[in-house]
Amino acid sequence: MLGFDLGKYRTIVISIALFLVLDLGVLVLNFVISSEIDKDAVNINLAGRQRMLSQRMAKTALQVEARAVQSVPFEKEAEELQAAHSTFDSTLNAFIAGGATLSGAGSEIRIDRIDDAKAQAILGEARALWTPFSTQVRALGDKGTATPEAAATLARQAENVNLGLLKLMNDLTTRSEQLSSDKATTLRLVQVGGITLATVNFLIILFHFLRHLRESDRLVERAKRETDNILRTTQEGLFLLDDRFAIGSQHSRALGGIIGTEQLAEQDFLGILRPMVTQKTLDTTREYIELLFKPEIKEKLVGSLNPLSHVEIHQAHGAGETSTRYLQFGFNRVRDESRITHLLVTANDITRRVKLEQELKATEERARGQMGMLVEILQVDPSDMHRFLQAANEGLHHINGQLMDQSGGKTEQKINAIYRITHRLKGDAGALGLSILAEPFHELEEVLSGLRGRSNVSGEDFLPVTVQLKALFEQLETVGSAVNRIGQVRGVVTVEPPRPRVETAETPPRVVGLWQSFAMQIAERQQRKVELIYSGIDLERLAPVLQDSVNGIVTQFLRNSVVHGIESPAERRQRGKPEAGRIAVYVSQRDDGGADLSFRDDGQGLSIAKLRDAAVRAGKLTAEEAATLDQRRIVALIFEPGISTRETADEDAGRGAGLDVVKDMITTLGGTVRIGSTPGEYCHFRVSLPAQPEQLLAA
Amino acid sequence: MDETQLKAFVGIVQNYFDKITGNPAEVGTPFLGEPGDLPIHDFTGVIGISGNQRGCVYFSAPALMLREILLRAGETDLSDGNLADITGEIANTIAGNARREFGSEFLISVPVVVRGSGQHITMPKDVKAYVIPLRWRKIAASLVVSVGKA
Repeated sequence: MLGFDLGKYRTIVISIALFLVLDLGVLVLNFVISSEIDKDAVNINLAGRQRMLSQRMAKTALQVEARAVQSVPFEKEAEELQAAHSTFDSTLNAFIAGGATLSGAGSEIRIDRIDDAKAQAILGEARALWTPFSTQVRALGDKGTATPEAAATLARQAENVNLGLLKLMNDLTTRSEQLSSDKATTLRLVQVGGITLATVNFLIILFHFLRHLRESDRLVERAKRETDNILRTTQEGLFLLDDRFAIGSQHSRALGGIIGTEQLAEQDFLGILRPMVTQKTLDTTREYIELLFKPEIKEKLVGSLNPLSHVEIHQAHGAGETSTRYLQFGFNRVRDESRITHLLVTANDITRRVKLEQELKATEERARGQMGMLVEILQVDPSDMHRFLQAANEGLHHINGQLMDQSGGKTEQKINAIYRITHRLKGDAGALGLSILAEPFHELEEVLSGLRGRSNVSGEDFLPVTVQLKALFEQLETVGSAVNRIGQVRGVVTVEPPRPRVETAETPPRVVGLWQSFAMQIAERQQRKVELIYSGIDLERLAPVLQDSVNGIVTQFLRNSVVHGIESPAERRQRGKPEAGRIAVYVSQRDDGGADLSFRDDGQGLSIAKLRDAAVRAGKLTAEEAATLDQRRIVALIFEPGISTRETADEDAGRGAGLDVVKDMITTLGGTVRIGSTPGEYCHFRVSLPAQPEQLLAA
Repeated sequence: MDETQLKAFVGIVQNYFDKITGNPAEVGTPFLGEPGDLPIHDFTGVIGISGNQRGCVYFSAPALMLREILLRAGETDLSDGNLADITGEIANTIAGNARREFGSEFLISVPVVVRGSGQHITMPKDVKAYVIPLRWRKIAASLVVSVGKA
C-alpha cells in the first residue's frame, strides 16, 4: 500500500499514524473555532458600539432641536449626528448581510453576516425601528440649517426609537456573547475529546507493544544465549566476513587460539593473515573472497579454488624463532533474500593431521628411496663400510677445513686439495659399489673441475662447492643411519655363522674381491677385459691406516690401469696378448710394520709422447719445455694434478686426477713410489710405506 | 636453500655495502658451520625464514665495521643504539630484497637485532649452516644462512 513492506512494524506504524491524525484534527478544529471566537469578539464589541451610537444620536438630535429653537447654528452637532448615523447604519447592515464598517480604531473592517436566527430576528426588529429614523437624519443633512420644526420632529422620533434601539442592541450584544460562549464550550469539548482519544491510542500502543517487545527481547535473549553457548563451546573458529574483508563483531572463542591472536572482532581479515602467509596466498585469498561475493558466480564451482583450504601459517616469536601451523578455512555464503550479505567462515587447526600425513609421506618416500641404497649397503662388508664412512666423514671435514681457511693462500692449491680428497673418496665409494655416494662425489668433482680451469676464482665461486659439500654430509648421514639400522637387524637376526676373523695367507683377502669387482665394473664401462691376480698377505695384518691407504692406492692404480694401460681386446689380439689384461698386485709387510705394494699391468705402458701433449694441454709446460724435458721428469708428470692423457672426461678418468691423489697419500704417509714401464709391454708401480706414528706408539 | 638463493643473499649484502659505502664487501670461501659454533660478532641482525624451509639468516658484524659504515654514511652518532640501528637496517635490506626475490617460496620475518653473543638466536638444530665470510676494509663480518626442511 505504501510502496514498501512494513513487515512486523505495520501495526505500530498505523497506530502512530492514527495518533498523529487525531492530533492534527484537534489542531485544525482548534484553529477554526478559535477563529470563530475571534470574530464573535469583534461582533460583541461592535454590538456594544451600536448601543452607544443609539444613545449618542438621541442626545445629538435633542441638542440640534435646542439650537434650532434658539436660532443658533448647529453645524457641528449635525455633522456628529451624521457620523454616528453612518457608522450605526453600516454596522447594522454588515451584521445583517455582511460587509464593511469602521472598527473601534476608525479603520475599515469587513465582517461576516451573523449566521444565527435569533440574532437576525433582533437585527430585523432593529432595522424596522431604524429605517424611518435614518431617513429623518439623512433629511436633516449636515449643514446645520434645518428649521426648528424639522429639528423638533427629528428629536421626537429619536425619543421614540431610542429605548427600542438600545434594548435591541443590548439583546444583540448578549446574543453575540452567548454564541461566543457556545463556541468556546465546543472548543474545550473538542480538545478534551481529542486528547482523550490520543491518550487512549498511546496507551494501546504502549501496552500492546511493550508486551510484544518484552516477548521479542526474551526471544532475542534466548537466541543470544544459545549463540553465545555455541560460540563459546565449539572447537571450530567461526565468524562472519563482510565484503570489505572485515570480521564480524562476534566470533567463536576457539578462533583466537586457532589464528593465534585475540583481537579479531571487526578487524581486517586480510590484515591478520598478512604476516602469516606468503603474498601470493594473500592475493589469491582476496580474489577468492571477492568471487564469493559475486552472485553470478556459482559457489560450488569456485570451492576448489579456496587458497585457504589447507594453508601453512607462520608466526614469529623472537630472534629467528617461528612456529608453523596448518589451518583450514571454509567459506559459505550468507544470503538475505537473494543478496549475499556475508560469508560464514569456519577455521580449523589441522596441524596435527597434516604433520601425521607429512610424516607418513616422508616415511613412504624414505622407504622407497632407501630400497636402492639398502641393496648397495647390504652388498658391502660392514667393517669396510664402517671404515669408508669414517674416512669419508673425515674427508668431508677436511674439505670444510680447506674452505674455512680464509688465510688467503693460493686458491689453486685449495681447489686441488679439495679435488684430491673428493677424487679419492669417489674412487673408494665406487670400489665399494656405493653409487649413492660415488655420484654426489662425482658431481662435486665436476664443480671443482670447472673451477680448476678458471683464473681469478673468487670466494663466491666456491658457493656450489659448499652447497654440494652440504649435500654430501647429508647423504653420508643418511647412509650412516641406514648402516646402523641394518647393523641392528644383523645383530638380532643371524642368518649364517660369522666368518672366522683370521684368514690364512692362501685365502684371498676380502678386499681383493672388492678390487676385482671394481676392476670388472670399470673394464665393462671402458669395453676392456681384465683379470686381477693377488698374491701377498692379508691386508688386515697391516695397521688400519695402512690398510686404508693401500686400498685407496690400489683403487686409483686399478682405475688408471684399466682406463689408460690395458688395451682393447682387439688391440691386444693384434699385439699377440691375451684378450684379458692381466693386473698383478702384491702386498707384503715390512719389518718395521710398514707395507710394500707392487702393482703391475701388462698393458701398453706409459706413452711419453702422450704425457708431453697432456702437460702442454693442461698448461703445465710450454710446447718448448715439453720437448726438452727428460723422460724421467715427463714420467713424473703423471702424479701432477690436471694431467690426463685422455682428451674427454667420464666417470672413470679424464680429469687428470687419480695419481696425484696417490702421490698425495704416499707423501702424507712418508712413503715412496717408483715407476717402471716399457711401452707396449707393462707398467709397474712400486710403493713403499713406512710404519705410521700411531703404530709405533701402540707398539 | 640452493646455490642461486645463497648467491642472491650474498648479492644483497654486497650491493648494500657498495651503495652505502662505495666499496663492495669481499666474499671469502663459504664453508659449513655447526649450529653451536657459528661466528657471532658484536651486533647481529636476524631474519626468520619459514615456509617450505625453516631457519634463519643473519648478518653479524663487529662494532668497528659498523662505526666505519656510519662514518662513511656521514653519521656522527656512533653510539651502540645507532650501531644496532645500522645492523637492523642491513638486516632489513636483506629481508626486503629477499621478500621480493623469494616471497612466493618463503615467509621472511621482520628482522631482530641481537647484541653480543648469539644465545638468543634460535638456529635449526642438526643442520649445518652456510657461513659466508665477508671482509670490508680488512674487517671481517659474516653472513650465515641456516635452513632446514620444515
